[in-house]
Formats: sequence, structure tokens, C-alpha cells
Amino acid sequence: MEEIRTGVYICHCGLNIAGVVDVEEVAKYAGQLPGVVVSREYRYMCSDPGQDLIKDDIKELGVNRVVVASCSPRMHEPTFRKAVEDGGLNPYLYEHANIREHCSWVHDDKELATNKAKDLVRAAVRRVCRHEPLVVREAPFTPSVLVIGGGIAGMQAALDIANGHQKVYLVERDPSIGGHMAQLDRTFPTLDCSECILTPKMSDVGHHPFIELHTYSEVEEVSGSIGSFKVKIRKKARYVDESKCVGCGDCEEKCPWKVPSEYEMGLAKRGVIYIPFAQAIPNVATIDGEHCVYLQKGKCRACEKACEAGAIDFEQKDEIIEVEVGAIIVATGYDQFDPAVISQYGYRRFDNVLTGLEFERLTCAAGPTEGKILLKDGREPESVALVHCVGSRDQNYHEYCSRVCCMYALKYAHLAKELTKADVYQFYIDMRCFGEGYEEFYNRLSEEGVNFIRGKVAKITDDAVTDEEKGKLVVVSEDTLLGKLIRVPVDMVILCSALQPRADAENVGKILNINRRADGFFLERHVKLDPVATPTDGIFIAGCCEAPRDIPDTVAQAEATAAKALSLISRGTVTLEAAISTVDESICHGCGRCEEVCPFSAPSIVSKNGVMVSEINEALCKGCGACAVICPTGAVTIKHFTQDEILAQVDALTEAR
Amino acid sequence: MAGFEPQIIAFCCNWCTYAAADLAGTSRMQYPANVRIVRVMCSGMVNPLYVLKAFEGGVDGVLIAGCHLTDCHYIDGPTKCDAMVDKLREMLHVLGLEDERLRREMVAASEGVLFARVIKEMVEQLKKIGPSPFKARTEALA
Amino acid sequence: MEVLSPYKEATEVILEAGGEPLKLCYQCGLCTGTCPWNMVRSFLVRRIMHEAQLGAVDFGSEDVWTCVTCKACVDRCPRGVEIIDVMRALRRAVASLGIGVVPDALRISAKNIAGVGNPLGEPPERRNDWAKDLKVKDFAKGTEVLYFPCCVPSYDPGVKNVARSVAAIFDRLKIDYGLIGTEAKCCGEAIRKAGYEETFQSLAQNNIDLFTSNGVKTVVVSSPHCYHTFKAEYPELGGEFEVLHIAQYLASLIDKGKLKLSKELNKKVVYSDPCYLGRHNHIYDEPREILKAIPGLELLEFPDARENGLCCGGGGGRIWMDTPKGERFSDIRVEQAAEMGADIIAVACPYCVLNYTDSVLSMGKAETMQVKDIAELVAEAM
Repeated sequence: MEEIRTGVYICHCGLNIAGVVDVEEVAKYAGQLPGVVVSREYRYMCSDPGQDLIKDDIKELGVNRVVVASCSPRMHEPTFRKAVEDGGLNPYLYEHANIREHCSWVHDDKELATNKAKDLVRAAVRRVCRHEPLVVREAPFTPSVLVIGGGIAGMQAALDIANGHQKVYLVERDPSIGGHMAQLDRTFPTLDCSECILTPKMSDVGHHPFIELHTYSEVEEVSGSIGSFKVKIRKKARYVDESKCVGCGDCEEKCPWKVPSEYEMGLAKRGVIYIPFAQAIPNVATIDGEHCVYLQKGKCRACEKACEAGAIDFEQKDEIIEVEVGAIIVATGYDQFDPAVISQYGYRRFDNVLTGLEFERLTCAAGPTEGKILLKDGREPESVALVHCVGSRDQNYHEYCSRVCCMYALKYAHLAKELTKADVYQFYIDMRCFGEGYEEFYNRLSEEGVNFIRGKVAKITDDAVTDEEKGKLVVVSEDTLLGKLIRVPVDMVILCSALQPRADAENVGKILNINRRADGFFLERHVKLDPVATPTDGIFIAGCCEAPRDIPDTVAQAEATAAKALSLISRGTVTLEAAISTVDESICHGCGRCEEVCPFSAPSIVSKNGVMVSEINEALCKGCGACAVICPTGAVTIKHFTQDEILAQVDALTEAR
Repeated sequence: MAGFEPQIIAFCCNWCTYAAADLAGTSRMQYPANVRIVRVMCSGMVNPLYVLKAFEGGVDGVLIAGCHLTDCHYIDGPTKCDAMVDKLREMLHVLGLEDERLRREMVAASEGVLFARVIKEMVEQLKKIGPSPFKARTEALA
Repeated sequence: MEVLSPYKEATEVILEAGGEPLKLCYQCGLCTGTCPWNMVRSFLVRRIMHEAQLGAVDFGSEDVWTCVTCKACVDRCPRGVEIIDVMRALRRAVASLGIGVVPDALRISAKNIAGVGNPLGEPPERRNDWAKDLKVKDFAKGTEVLYFPCCVPSYDPGVKNVARSVAAIFDRLKIDYGLIGTEAKCCGEAIRKAGYEETFQSLAQNNIDLFTSNGVKTVVVSSPHCYHTFKAEYPELGGEFEVLHIAQYLASLIDKGKLKLSKELNKKVVYSDPCYLGRHNHIYDEPREILKAIPGLELLEFPDARENGLCCGGGGGRIWMDTPKGERFSDIRVEQAAEMGADIIAVACPYCVLNYTDSVLSMGKAETMQVKDIAELVAEAM
């Protein structure tokens, strides 16, 4: 048996560790532990000279096990494994002790922290002796990407990947791609028309030879892992043959049944068979099965008679499409917060209290009022109030800032002034105008004569106390700069509603096995240094499914995810987990408990030389260790997390120093 | 029991609770130095033997903490861990160890505050109930 | 120009007195816009928070004593600032350190409470005189329920009937209940909110010891203020009892079929949510269930009912202070009730009874409008 020659390296991390932990003493202590041949402390172990210490000791002192005590292994374990490998050792003959995040940063008592650091180092030294060299395996990477969500984020990511001549499956839940951006009238701060910049992209997506578009479809199941995800897509029956439909709209005209249009935020009606909006991609009709009188009650078929192309197909069924992809980009967007829960704002109780998206539809030339800002009774408003932070920055609803509201409120103020000459009052808490050209836009609106009132609106009421207030909506707030209660009678109130996670984000997270933050949005791998990756390898997030953000940021994120996916594809292979389970066939009874407990179907019971034993499919095993816990004979072990290793670590931790 | 400082071993899953402990660190939250963390890949990886070994070694409390039920990197590790802990508790009763000595928690990666709170609570509670009866026995044998 | 400089020491005094939550305030002004005072006069809650943050509070100002602790602002505050705790901290600073002026009326009530255990300054031995002729038994070990009526119904001749009605109901239903001895003192809820922390501590300790030594398990109270402090504040001091407001107790008896109301009351009744029953303790349905169980009664609702209910003006120690005509919330309520055509304002709090009765009388509406506690209505309908 080889002699264990361990090298221990204690990092100062400047004063981050050394300011609390007596690193010299820890190094001295480690030096006398069994098997340790060298113990050093150094200012920054992760620096090149720091790593060189390790490499040199491997070469010169014959060190064959390495322990570094520094920051979290989640930060620098890969760095030091690489250093060990560069020094000529197997990278798994390495153990990490976390004496920064778990020690110097959470304890200010120097003696206690130093003692704890010694314990952690002792346990690591004890464990590293038991490490075995492991082989890192590679598997081929399937050169295709699934993009979930056909809003601006999903479209941008899909186009970038497809333009690199890699296959993209783009799945959109609604009958058309476009997302929320397709509902917007103009975009801040440049006021360019949203449709004008969006529809060329939609058209590109629709016709791209490398994009396979599935609209009115949902991802139902995802299995596998980075490099080879197997995806089941449910293509919902739209009862229209897409290949025959020419998008003429005759069916919708003849459909006798009308329901509120989702695209128009309920401000207009659509047919039960419908094309959601004029620029829809694909430009084909969809029958809303839930409301179709024929499908529900067996009578009507008016659309069928109207369709000259013969595209209506009531026999159509949901279809399951299975694809294999190497990476997944999640771009599922956001829901608008429903302000009706803030009862004192009177949304749905008062006709002329609107949400932002409703107002977008009013100002849009193609919208229900042909671009006129009108009250419910058809009059033009003489005064408009904009209420910021509705459901945002409020721990009763959402604690976060929704980031876009200040700017779109300014945009609405401008549109209200331009289209109606109304007096505009903005009730804000703080104006957050941080992007390119944003502060300038704020300045421009001040010039245009918008009234800015600093105060969170307490209520909106029709209870008039003066003649002036009669027949108006009265916005009540403190003007916090004047220190006075202010009542502003207006004709129309626009609630700048928060952006919130999709109602089904939890379910999507489960399907993809990605986590959500406490606020409900998807969790990025690292908030600063890995903002579009998720903790699950090969799955990336872009746009408002990760947090509220504006269009430029969404597009930048989408492009980032595309770059990530393309980089994986161009590498061509994926590294598989090395710390996976293994079976000692000499003691395995073939009882099959491992097979039952494994969520990835890695073990299977096979006959070897007439004996039933468990066999692990290494490509499927993720190394969770459930099989090792359940195994009644101890035949199954997780490499790098063996019973022997963890018991040794626990043992070391319970010993006296 | 003046001056009694309980010794705790915490088995923390790599993806959630270990990361939560990291977050407590990056946020510079202070909590008692009585805990030593053993990193495991999943709470479902914790073998009851590890816990028994820790108690045998004389620790006063053991924490097993990992992802919430729906957050598991390996789909259902926390459920398996819960089942293991239920059985283990019965065993600990037989051995005469108080319920409070084994704590099972779910602490997500974002819950650094919760991690620090759990450690604080555990230390306070263990201070109240005193050293593990095993510690005395082990010491007597030694 | 007057120049302000932050006065750290004053901030620290407020923080130490329990004003810690004020640190969270981001000055949006929602509290000011929500506060009922601004219907009748200016009261800039937000500005007080900021003054407290900077230590620039005018401790001599009447604003220190204005808050009625109705909790409307706290429930809406986007930062979750416990504004009532901050107001209480300011008052503590004045009451204990003497750095400002305590209003005369409050000072007298505080003195009475500290001296004889009730704000009215009545002799302690007469605490149970309201029940003299009713032969209510004294609470003894094993008695199921302790009835704790609150100082106001115990002593105030105008409100006594609330307690007497409860006794009548309990007698008719043969409930095993009793009254605790005359060593009982004011629950202390309001005087604590008024800043007299030490007085509260001694009242609470007295009552906890008294209840514990008598083996009290269940307390039924008429006042939401007693309810609140027994339920939320006494446990921290070691007093753990089951606490039920009379509305909860009666509603559960109706629900179980034990209490049947048979006499018709053909009146329009509007129920006003007491802040300490509603917003502070989320009890909205039980009083309404009781009123609906009275045959013939037509239950009306104020436009701002339940979570949005308007305070009577009596919380936070305001019940002992003078509020000038034109600034009384109870006047607004009575006006609203009259406009709705209500015959009776039903309440579930002795402070509400006091304030609404006062308003009805001073507004000359006594002919057409009555104020009744739900216990009184139940007793009449049995």
C-alpha cells in the first residue's frame, strides 16, 4: 500500500480568514497530524503562486494527498482540483475545508474560530487519506436546444442559436409567439413602436430553417441531463390544420360566439375560433376548445362552413412530440399582478381604474379604441393619475422593485399628454431611471409638465367631499415633500402593477428541476457571476422568469443564454459526474432495493454468472447516494462519499484536539 | 450546567443547506461556533450510521438539513431523508437520547438567515437539556 | 433659516424604548394617507417616523399622544413597520424620562390605575358591585369560566349593563362561571400603549398571579383590549390562559345550538368593528353571526367595515383624553349610521360604547339612535 503523504495549505484570504482565524497556529497544528508531510499557510491560495505551492510540493516532496482550507468549496474546489491535476495527481485526491464562509465570516471569537478551523482541517486530513483516484468521463452533447417561451427573450435566444446553424425547438403555450412585448404599444424611452421592432423578429422565427416552432404547445416532461435531455412536448389540439389554414380570418368573422380577448386584456372580444392578433406567427386560426359550442354541446360548426381551405378539423387530438436536446433555455416570462386584491384602489370596482397593460391596448392604434385614450363612457379624460409601485416594494404583496414601472409610467404620462392634453399626476415613492436614456426621458417629461407627487397612494375613492370632486375618482395620498394630505380628482387612474412570477412557475420548476427564490422567480446559479445559468447543468434562464427587467436587459440575457448553449454545443462533449455509485458484486444479494429507490433508474438487477446482482448505468447515475443508504448489505457505495470516508470525517470531528 | 458548550455535527446537502451556510457567511451573519458541517451531496445520502457514529463520539446534537421537498437536485432525496429520520428517532429513543438532539430541517440555498437561526436555536436548546448522556458514558469508559 | 442636525441620543432613547421598527420606514406616506385623523385634522405619521429616525421629535407636541393605535396604517405599511410600537416608544420616552409633557387627563388616569387599579379612580373593593344583586359566585378552583368584564363596565354606571347582560346570559344558560376577587386590576393594555410600561408590568403581574393562584383556565372578556393583552402580551410574562372574547364565546354557543334567540328585534342594526377585535385580532365574523341569529334584526354594514373599519377614537389611551368636537371619529360613525337609517349601532367593546353613546347624546340623536353592546342585544333577545 502506498504511503500517505498529505500536504495541507491554509489560506489567509487576505484578512478575510486571517483576521479571525490564527492561520499560523492552524498550519502548525495540521503539520503534526498523521500522514501530513507538509503544512503551509499563504496569503491567497487561489492565486498562481498559491497554486504553485501545491504543484511544487507534489513534485518535490512527493505529496500524494492535498487539503486546502480556504473559502467555500462551491467557490474554489474546482480551482484546486485543477492545480492538483496540473501537479500530476488525480484531481479527486483532494479535500477542501471551508474556513471562511463557515468559520471566519460567521464567528468573531478568535479562539473559537481557530479551534473550529483546526477541527475542520483535521477532519479533511482524515478523509483525504481515504480518497481514491476517480476517472472523469465524457459523453457526447446533443447539438440542439429547447427554448421554452416565445416572448422576446425566447425568440432572441432561438434566433441567435439558429443563426449559428444549430437546431432549436421553440415551444410557446399561446397560439402565437410574441409574448407581452406584442401587447405593448410603444417602448420607453425612445417611444419606438413595439410591433415595428418585434414583428420582423417574429417573422424570422417563423421561417427560420433551424427553428422548429411549436405554438399552442407545452413542455410536459423533461428527463435526462445536460447533453441529452429528453423532452415531451404536448401540442394541444387547435382543431385547425395548420398546413391548410391561410389565416384569412373568415372563420372568426362567422363564429357566432364571442369571448373576451386575452391579447386585448379583455377590452375587446374575439371569436371562439380566432387569430390572436393581426401579426400572429403562425398566422393560423385556433379553436378555443373550452368555449367552442360545437365541442362542448355538439352543435354549430359555423367555422367549418366558412372555411374555404377546409382547414377545420374537429377530430384533431393533442399530440405528444418527443425531442432530444443538449441544453434548455427557459424564457417563460411574467404575469401581471392583479391589483384587485388591493381593495382600496378600486380596480374592477371603478370603471376607469386600469392596469398598465390595459392602458397599452388603449393607446395602440390597432387596439380596441384605435389608439384613443377614452373613458368607459367614451369621453376623453381631462386628467389622469399614475400610481407607482402597485404590488411592488410592498411586503404585503411583493417586496422587490419591478424595475420597469417608473419608466413605463413616464411613457404613459407622455402618451396621455400627447393624445389627450390631459393633466397628468404621477404618484411615486422613488423615481428609478437607471438605464440608457432613462434619466433624460424623466427630464423630458418634467419639461412636458407632468405633476410629480411623492407619496404612496392610500386610496382611490369616488366619495366626493367638494364639488370639484363630484363625478371624479379621487386619489388620496400624502404629498410627503409638502407634508400635507393631498386629494387629486381625476378621470382615469392607471395602476402600475407589479411583474410577478408566472402562476405555474412552481410546476415549470418541478418539470425542469430548477429552483425558485423566495420571491417565486427562478434562481440563478450565481447572482453576480453566473446570472443566466441555473444550478442544474445545461438549463439556462432568460428574461422576466428570472426577475422583472426591461426589454434591453431581457434581450441581453437571452443572447447570453444563447452564447452559453452554443459554447456547450461547440465543445461537443459533456463531463459526467465521477462521484457515482458502484456495486461490490461479491456481497450484493440482488435484492433490488437500489433499483426501487433510484429516481434516475441507474441500477438494474442483472444475472452475472448465474447470480443476480445490481449493475449501475454510469451514464444515468447522479451520485445522490440513496441506493447506498438503502442497501442492506453495504454492497453499494458512492465514490468519493463512501461510508468509510464520512465515518472517518465524523470520527475526526468528535475527537479532542 | 454553567459554561457547557454543546457540540453539534450538521450534515448539509451540497445544493441547498451547504449553500445557505455559505450565504450566512457571505452575509456575515453571526451564529455560535458550536457546529461542524459535513458536506453531503443530498440529505437522502445521510446514512443513519453517520448519526449514530456522531452520538457515539459524544456530540450533543446532530442536524440533518437539506433542500425543501420540491427543490431536490435528485428529485426526492428529502422524502427519503424524512423516512430515515423517522426510523432513526425510534432507535434514539431506545438508546435513551432526547428528541431534541436530532434535528431535521429544510433550508434552501437562499435561506441563510434561517440557517443561522436554526444553529442558534439548537445551541440554546441543547444548553438547556445539557450534555449528551453518551458523552458521560464514553468518558467513563475511557 | 432653522437648521436641523440629527440628534443621535434622542434616536437611541426611542430605539431603546421599543422603537426599533422605525428603522425600516422608507417614507412613502401611505400611513398618513391611511390614518383616520387626516379626515378631521392633520396628523403626519410619516413625518413622525422620519423625525424619530433623526432624533428630531418634538416631545412636547400633542402629536406624541394623537395615535389611536387602530392599526390601519400598520396593516398596509409596505415595509411592515410596527408604527404602533414606535408611537408607544415616543410615549415611553416622555412618560418615563419626563422629556415632554403628558396630557393632564392621561396623567390622572395613569395615576388612578397605578394607585387603585382602575382608570376611574374608584375603590378597588367595589369592582364587583355591578353584580351585587345578581348573586354571581366568586371564582373558585374548578370553576369553568372566569368572566372579566373590564374596568369600564365594572364601574361606569352607563356601561354596567354590558356586564350585567353577560351575567344574565350565563345564568340563563347555567354556565359555570365566576368573578375573580376585587384584587383584580385593570388589564393594562391601554396604559401600556400610553407609554406607562412599568405600570403595565405591575398590573399584568398582579393579574397573572391572581389568575394562576385561583387556577383560572378560561377567561371570557367583554373588552377587546383585555382580550388583546391577555392573549398577546400576558403569555410573555408567564400568563397562559385560554382567552375568549364574549363574541367568540356566544357565537360558539349559538353554533352548538346551546344558545337560542327567540325574541324578535325588528330594528336596523349596524355593526362597528372595534379595532382591537378586528384588525388587531382578526375577529370579524363572530359578532356578525350573533347579530344575524337575532330574529327580525336587519344587519347593515358600514361602507368601511371589517379590515377597513373606522376606529371609535378610544384606543391607545385616547379614551381618557379629550378630543375636541369636530375631531371625533365616533361622530363620523354616528352620522354614517344615521344616513344609512340604522336604529342601533352595535359594538363589542366598552370603549366603543362610551364613545358612541357620547356622540349620540352630543349630536342630539338619542331619540332615534341607540348604542348597544352585542351582549346586551343577545340578553334582550333570549
